Amino acid sequence: MRDNTLKYLLVLPAVLVVFVTAIWPLIEAARLSFTVGRLNRPGSLDQYLGWENYLWAFFEEPAFWNSVWVTAIYTLLTVGLTTVFALGLALLLAPGGRLRSSAQALLILPFAMSPALIGVSFRFMFNPEFGLFDAFFGIVFPPLADVSWLADPQLALAVVVMADVWGWIPFLTLVLIGGLASVPRDTVEAAQVDGASGWRVFKDVTLPQLAPVLAVVVILKSIFSLKTFDQVFMLTNGGPGTATQTLSHYIYFNGMKYGQIGYSASVAWLMVIPMIFLTYAYAKFVFRKADQ
Amino acid sequence: MAEIKLNNLTKRWGDFIGVDDQSLHIKDREFLVLLGPSGCGKTTTMRMIAGLEEPTAGEIWIGDRMVNDDLPKDRDVAMVFQNYGLYPHMTIFDNIAYPLKVRGTDKSEIRPRVEKAAEQVELTEFLHRKPKALSGGQRQRVALARAIVRTPKVFLMDEPLSNLDAKLRVTMRAELKHLSRALQITTVYVTHDQIEAMTLADRVAVMKNGIIQQLGTPDDIYNNPANLFVAGFIGSPAMNLINGSVTDGMFVTTGGTRLVPVKSPDREKAILGVRADDMHVHEAGQGDIDVTIYAFENTGESTLLTVQWGKQRVIARGDRHLRKDQDDVVGISLNQDHLYLFDPETEDRIEM
Repeated sequence: MRDNTLKYLLVLPAVLVVFVTAIWPLIEAARLSFTVGRLNRPGSLDQYLGWENYLWAFFEEPAFWNSVWVTAIYTLLTVGLTTVFALGLALLLAPGGRLRSSAQALLILPFAMSPALIGVSFRFMFNPEFGLFDAFFGIVFPPLADVSWLADPQLALAVVVMADVWGWIPFLTLVLIGGLASVPRDTVEAAQVDGASGWRVFKDVTLPQLAPVLAVVVILKSIFSLKTFDQVFMLTNGGPGTATQTLSHYIYFNGMKYGQIGYSASVAWLMVIPMIFLTYAYAKFVFRKADQ
Repeated sequence: MAEIKLNNLTKRWGDFIGVDDQSLHIKDREFLVLLGPSGCGKTTTMRMIAGLEEPTAGEIWIGDRMVNDDLPKDRDVAMVFQNYGLYPHMTIFDNIAYPLKVRGTDKSEIRPRVEKAAEQVELTEFLHRKPKALSGGQRQRVALARAIVRTPKVFLMDEPLSNLDAKLRVTMRAELKHLSRALQITTVYVTHDQIEAMTLADRVAVMKNGIIQQLGTPDDIYNNPANLFVAGFIGSPAMNLINGSVTDGMFVTTGGTRLVPVKSPDREKAILGVRADDMHVHEAGQGDIDVTIYAFENTGESTLLTVQWGKQRVIARGDRHLRKDQDDVVGISLNQDHLYLFDPETEDRIEM
């Protein structure tokens, strides 16, 4: 067999798996998004409707826009907070040493927890009667003592954000520690001798050299934030009302609970668009790094 | 402009001793080379002067100030790193300008000073490029320009030439020497290359295992090595060290050959040191001793004869027109004015 044929044969299984698990569902979802697609109406999965579902989402559904809004705020807050905290932690832990290495090893624990588990444990910790955090915040800051965190629209979103940031900091910290290790020590020391203060060394030398890794971190976290579902489902189930209903949750509710598969497929496809941009940017950064 | 004083400087990492209670006084405007094999503590000593490494004990004085507790930025030193340490995201101009910028130099003053520094190292046409677009030698020049763009109290150079190819190293060595003479700034230069040390230094400190073995001018180090280590480390090819004894004023090799008269009382064990240049090559029978050639090498400017001498091999330098072959027999005589005797137990030199 010629090498040329062999190389295509060797990647074929992987391509097939991706096709069956990702490409085909995307195509099928696209087809469904143009149908009436109601689970409780036989035959409606093949009933062509044109752009009706999309128009409905855009012009007739405030709940859709609400979830877009929630997702946007949620993404902005989680990406921003996680990146800042992870960068800070990475700078603290990167120098190594026995204590720091143990801390690095411990860091992986929160990341090892499933998002659903994080959701449940945070729900318990913010329980108004026996929640740990609820009591803790009450003691530290008395005006917060009687607040029912998960019942207040803004605070509930804050709790969801908090849980997500908590769960994601460790992994991104480890990624950034790796990134910091690739910043040549020579350049940092050269800046120190050249007369730069700690802050200027960071701003002028470390940060610019860390930028490609930082970009990957921001893009990766944006992708994960945009599609957040499990934590929201377990922690607030989108409530109170729809205050914490992210797009994924909205899609799930419409599709699975109300049986509007066609409509939720169209919203899902609306979410695919930003995802494609982010994935493209991610791939560009990752492979650009590999080139160097 | 400043002198550097190291008082009982020690650096330990756990049980490992990097620098062991060393004192060194580097004079104002002196070019001092710290020379030694890797792991001898020379780079650690320099990094402690720069403030990049904290001493375990001892004091570091730059000028009339003890700088132990000063951050690197406050010590007013400039350093050239082995891998240059250029900022890859900045242009060459910005690289050179950085020490001025962070020290708050007036903007109008920065450009002429950067241009002057660039001119001194012949980089003017590359100022707008990034380090990636330069060759190794050019990057080396950028690192130099960044050091000389302001007038620090002290220059520190950590094996600055070791990443260059052999030919470029020779050129850059001469440029460095020229530049250092022109600038007249106290310089500490770390290298494992004894030729760099010999050619650049006002004084050389030869280090081994965290201890300065000998401190002296290049002439001193070459002509009066204090011990076996310095004798074997300086010079290319390395000094021949022949095992034997001293009997009745004669050096007798382990093989029993009575070789040359030495001014030393009898010793059961002694090592005779003689440089390749002080071993003269003759036709067979005309020297002090006849030996068989193990290998004959023609380097162009001279010839090197590795000869079998009993159980040892020694290297003699011959005339560039000499032509011999492996297994030929030649006569060897020693220049008796340049012989060194060492005690194999203490490794110290025995004065003759």
